[in-house]
Amino acid sequence: MVLLGGPTGISLVSQVKAFGLYNFLKPVANAYARAAGYRKVGLKYDDLLVEERDDVAKAISRLSAQESYDRVYRFRVAFQQDLMRRPLPKEQWVKAEDDVRYLTPLVEGVSKEIQERDSWDTVEVERKAI
Amino acid sequence: MSLLRLPRAVPALRRSYATAANVAEAAGVKVVGIENGSRPSTTSVTVAIRAGSRYETTPGVANVLKNFAFKSTAAGSPLRTVRETELYGGVLSTAVSREHIFLTAEFLRGDEAHFLPLLASVLSSTQFLAHEYSELVLPTVQGEALAAAADPVAAAIDTAHQVAFRRGLGNSIYAEPTSPVTLDAVKQYAKAAFAKSNIAVIGQGISTEALAAAVESTFGGEGAGASSLATPASQYFGGEARIAFDSHANPTAQPTLVIAYGAAGAATPELSVLPHLLGGESSLKWAPGTSPLAQAAAKIPGASVRSFLTGYTDASLFGVVVSAPTAEAVRSLATEVAAAIKGAAAGVKDDELKRAVAKAKFAEATKLETADSLVAAVTPAVFGNATLDVASFDALSAAAVTKAASTLFSAKPTVVAVGNTHVLPYADELGL
Repeated sequence: MVLLGGPTGISLVSQVKAFGLYNFLKPVANAYARAAGYRKVGLKYDDLLVEERDDVAKAISRLSAQESYDRVYRFRVAFQQDLMRRPLPKEQWVKAEDDVRYLTPLVEGVSKEIQERDSWDTVEVERKAI
Repeated sequence: MSLLRLPRAVPALRRSYATAANVAEAAGVKVVGIENGSRPSTTSVTVAIRAGSRYETTPGVANVLKNFAFKSTAAGSPLRTVRETELYGGVLSTAVSREHIFLTAEFLRGDEAHFLPLLASVLSSTQFLAHEYSELVLPTVQGEALAAAADPVAAAIDTAHQVAFRRGLGNSIYAEPTSPVTLDAVKQYAKAAFAKSNIAVIGQGISTEALAAAVESTFGGEGAGASSLATPASQYFGGEARIAFDSHANPTAQPTLVIAYGAAGAATPELSVLPHLLGGESSLKWAPGTSPLAQAAAKIPGASVRSFLTGYTDASLFGVVVSAPTAEAVRSLATEVAAAIKGAAAGVKDDELKRAVAKAKFAEATKLETADSLVAAVTPAVFGNATLDVASFDALSAAAVTKAASTLFSAKPTVVAVGNTHVLPYADELGL
């Protein structure tokens, strides 16, 4: 799957913030996240990032041991619930405040590194005036 | 006759640039620039940090800190550092010894405005990122440790230090697989190590004034005040270590035996002459030398014997490295080496001493002529420790050297055997 706008997809969050629409759209975003259903099987939003990409794979390798373990555990739970065709009991759903972007900063760091390498690979050097 | 005498006078004159008198201080950091004319178009600036393996808080942390140099800083990523260095045409390198960590930048003359801030940023703002530690630093640390373990001579000398001095100077300069180094330990060690009083900047191909001006404008972010790193005063113990070595890992490796003796205090002229007296390596290619150890080695094809003296600020280690194609050959050669050591302790002949003094003077003088050895030779002087004066070799007498040798060799020997330990001799079998 090819995603436009990098590993995390297209984001309009900076424009939304610039136009002062953040507080207006936040309830809509919350409702969307609830409706998407991933929290009902114990997943966080960053678990859904497409991991068959070099930059995301690299970012996953940079997770701490604990985060990495928790991520795999969430997947096991989600697969099990999917197999049984039922969501988790409601008290075990991932709460909105726990649904943090634990992977996105790392993915952004990796893509920044890739961009930097690309820019150095195509740099044009000007001779200093002596 | 006067022409013959002239070259001998030159090293004595050159020696003067390592004295405390021409060490300047800029931004709280010691600075010395050496213009010896041998580098007409390049400059090399070395930052020496008094944080080698003897100051380690965790085993291996000095080696890790060395490998963390030139990684992400506030100024930029390691990629940026490397690419910019390539564009300027420079070489960045790092080294660690038992007493110091060296960060070196070599570049074309006039580029110090780029490279000095780079060196300063390593000290002041290295980020110590967790992913750089696991992706870039640890593989290098592991590789260095593996390479050292696969080299019987490096392994033997490293272990000899451990047996001889136990703690402090006995710390290995490599990291050990058995004692992992955490990132927090590296950060704390760096914080303690990068104190201003702990740093010296040594330039070659640049004047002290120019270097001091450049340092004044770039250095400043480091921790002020004295370093909190401490090391125990060195004490010589001696003993024996035997390392089973799998020669399949490195087919060129030969079984090796190191016989070493340590002494407290920095290297004296008497001790510095000793390796040249016992010799080992021939000064003439394709011919066995005249020294006792070289003649012993010549009897066994493919064998080599080398004696060395490693000086530190408060101790020195004299040693002989014996390598031969088979463990049996090492056993017979080591017995002869032990006899030669006994011979030196019993008495030194005048003509042998004359030869050794000439060689020692040449070796001391050449240390100041090559770029790499110069930094190692000058650094102790910059930090205010005593250094050898080439002129002091002339005053040596056979009696003084014999006395120094018999005192040194009366201590308990350090013997490290690396190879097939079933065949290699034990220390008490050598007749030391």
